[in-house]
Amino acid sequence: MRETAVKDVLRAFLATLLAVLVYSLAGGAGPALLVVLNAFSVVVLYFSVRRGEVFGAFLGTACGLVQDSFSLGVFGVGGLTKTLLGFWAGFVSRRIDVAPFFRNGLFMLAMSVLEMILWVLVTAVVRRESLNFHGGLILLQPLVTAVLGSSLFAVERRLRARGSRGA
Amino acid sequence: MPLWENRRSVLILAGLAAFNILLISIQIPRGAEKSLFERSIFFLFSPVQRAVTGAVRGAGSLWTNYFDLRGVRGENQKLKKEIFFRNQDVRFLEDQLQFFRSEAQVRERLAAFQGKIIPARVIGADSANPYQTIIIDKGSFDGILLDMAVCDRLGNLVGRTIEPVSFKESMVQLITDKDSSVSVVSAVSRLTGSLTGKSGDTCELRYVLASAPGGQLGEELLTTGYDKIYPAGLRVGSIRSLEKDELSPIFRKIAVEPYFRFNTIDIVAVITKAGGGE
Repeated sequence: MRETAVKDVLRAFLATLLAVLVYSLAGGAGPALLVVLNAFSVVVLYFSVRRGEVFGAFLGTACGLVQDSFSLGVFGVGGLTKTLLGFWAGFVSRRIDVAPFFRNGLFMLAMSVLEMILWVLVTAVVRRESLNFHGGLILLQPLVTAVLGSSLFAVERRLRARGSRGA
Repeated sequence: MPLWENRRSVLILAGLAAFNILLISIQIPRGAEKSLFERSIFFLFSPVQRAVTGAVRGAGSLWTNYFDLRGVRGENQKLKKEIFFRNQDVRFLEDQLQFFRSEAQVRERLAAFQGKIIPARVIGADSANPYQTIIIDKGSFDGILLDMAVCDRLGNLVGRTIEPVSFKESMVQLITDKDSSVSVVSAVSRLTGSLTGKSGDTCELRYVLASAPGGQLGEELLTTGYDKIYPAGLRVGSIRSLEKDELSPIFRKIAVEPYFRFNTIDIVAVITKAGGGE
């Protein structure tokens, strides 16, 4: 049990580094991709569903603060929203079966929308100004996050099924 | 003890949320200034970002180089011919130049210009809003300090260096950031104002009086140097629209399109104040 937890912590750390890589590459590809793609949210959602609300909350804090450190915005806004995202995702996924593909996608979409609403509210309160929605492009972010997150689970399920058939 | 066991996850969430709220509340009175913790996180992760970007670029260029090598012989011949004619042109121009300045003066001027520029590669953009900041692969070890002007490869103004500046990486505030402000003047009608970003792809020229004459669409804006950050004469952008400001009738509402483009800022030039860069 302890060994699995250590492995998951290591995996989460590597996934965070991967998110930094994705974010760097997306930055090079243009501003639109950065607005639409939030790799840190995908990492938080994936591990929260796997490991539960406490792991999700800690990973949310870590990922959110890393994301904040690369942004000019107020440090901690991403940390707070991703902490709550990790907690909600872990908490809900322990009470509802979110394994089937479409249910998984819907669950991820709901969580990402909640995160975005929270981020908009917190940013509006902290900075006291209206937000730039990049011509509505930012509204696609939850959808992209949901598609990527649920695809990740689908790929994992397929790999496991192949592994068990092989054994 | 029972409270901890029953409500463990909720208490952890409350603790983490309180920690983040504390971080936010520490910064609010200080505006955009970076906290020590934030700087530490940047110091920790920016080399990782630099390494992965370098590795991916390296792999990409290896692949490209392989294909490039295949046509390199023909291109080499063509370039040799081109260089020969270019050398002829250069010699002709050098002769012409001698009429106006001595060779020593020209060399001196070129050396001074090169000494004021540090070329840098862009390794990341702002994760929350790409129009606010970028991260470059040069830091304090390379001579980068705060408030140095940054231009693209064509000499158009991109922004200025801001905190944090780590040993080998620095953050650059773009002129499109809404908290950015650049003192500019229009090239023809000499309209002077403050260029502010809107965290989007356009900027706004503020504090130009409604009574000020002139100003036309497409007119170029240059830095004035009054702000003591950006050297005078850098190209910034062009006027996109001129309207009456309904909210503030004493000023004009002028939209500006910056010259720099995201797809051309893979390499930028940092203009050092004291000179002596790379």
